[in-house]
Amino acid sequence: MKKEELIGAYRGEVKYSVVTALLQAYHDILDFDGMKSILREAEMLHLKNIRDEDPDQYLDFFSFKKIISAQNCLLFDSSMLLFEIGKKFSFYLFPYGKNFEDVIHEINSSIITEWKVEILERNEDLITISVQKCIFCSEIGVPCDMFKGFLVHSLEKALTSDYSVSYYGDREDVNNPDHNNFVLRLKIEKKYYMDDL
Amino acid sequence: MNDIAKKWAIKLAVLGDPAVGKTSLINQYIQHRFKENYQPTLGVNILTKDMILDEINVETRLILWDIAGQDKYELTRQLFFEGCHGSLLVYDITRSSTFHGIETKWLDDFQKFARPDGEYILIGNKVDLKESRAVSFEQGSDLAKKINASDFFETSAKSGINVKEVFKNLALNVLKKFKA
Repeated sequence: MKKEELIGAYRGEVKYSVVTALLQAYHDILDFDGMKSILREAEMLHLKNIRDEDPDQYLDFFSFKKIISAQNCLLFDSSMLLFEIGKKFSFYLFPYGKNFEDVIHEINSSIITEWKVEILERNEDLITISVQKCIFCSEIGVPCDMFKGFLVHSLEKALTSDYSVSYYGDREDVNNPDHNNFVLRLKIEKKYYMDDL
Repeated sequence: MNDIAKKWAIKLAVLGDPAVGKTSLINQYIQHRFKENYQPTLGVNILTKDMILDEINVETRLILWDIAGQDKYELTRQLFFEGCHGSLLVYDITRSSTFHGIETKWLDDFQKFARPDGEYILIGNKVDLKESRAVSFEQGSDLAKKINASDFFETSAKSGINVKEVFKNLALNVLKKFKA
């Protein structure tokens, strides 16, 4: 399909580095057959060897969204798996860690479509994030565990290892068609070891 | 389970020791074909199948998780069970070790990590290999009663004997319980 034929929610493009990181995350958590299951469901099986592509090239957003929709269909009711996939997705997208503000900037600029992730407020122990039209959970009935895993792990990697991150937010009503607009709070806590006590 | 658009989605796991025929059962059910060469599943193979159950007037989507039986997947496998409504516990009638594995391993894992009230059916596969049978029908039937399986079938993924029936039966049992 030509780019100019795409309309509305499916218009846009996604850096190959994002697609590669996502497929690597599937591979790590679900292994090769699990990754293939998602690509097969998305009718995108030809992407299974995408690692060889130029990471700065782009895939059309429509194709990327097909992969996410297939993921959400097959991993229905699998919140923990999706959260772990999100963490791995962060790991492979930013393998050396990154300042959290840069992570937010980069995820917005690597997935170019009608959506927005922004930091609303930041202080020493709490970061408030707004996600508008989240592309990872736009289907009714799908919670946003995957992107939450991504955000939590991205922040964890931006901190030193004596801090941990947990998250909380308003109760998610997945049957609300608007549920992919949400605010998430990431709480930063110092870890205590036996030696500290 | 999801009742959006009057359609139910149920997550079913196919469990059992390596090479008991889990993938072959799913392939026979979905694609009506059987491959002679054995290729172990790497991690998990997930497929969907839409089904109309006239008996209870329900349209459902089965999300079938064909979960690798190898020990190396022990840790990640626990995550795969999350939210499972039902399971086919499969052994190979020609290998008694796979029969013992049902009680000592697969049922325990399913009950520990899937939904606590999940349904399960016991399956003795490879019934086409009668001359090599090591587990009798009665042994299978007795085990099904002992572990409170909702049903027991002997199947052949190769010839298709009882394959359609086991998936339909499990879907019906799950929906009767969870839809209520």
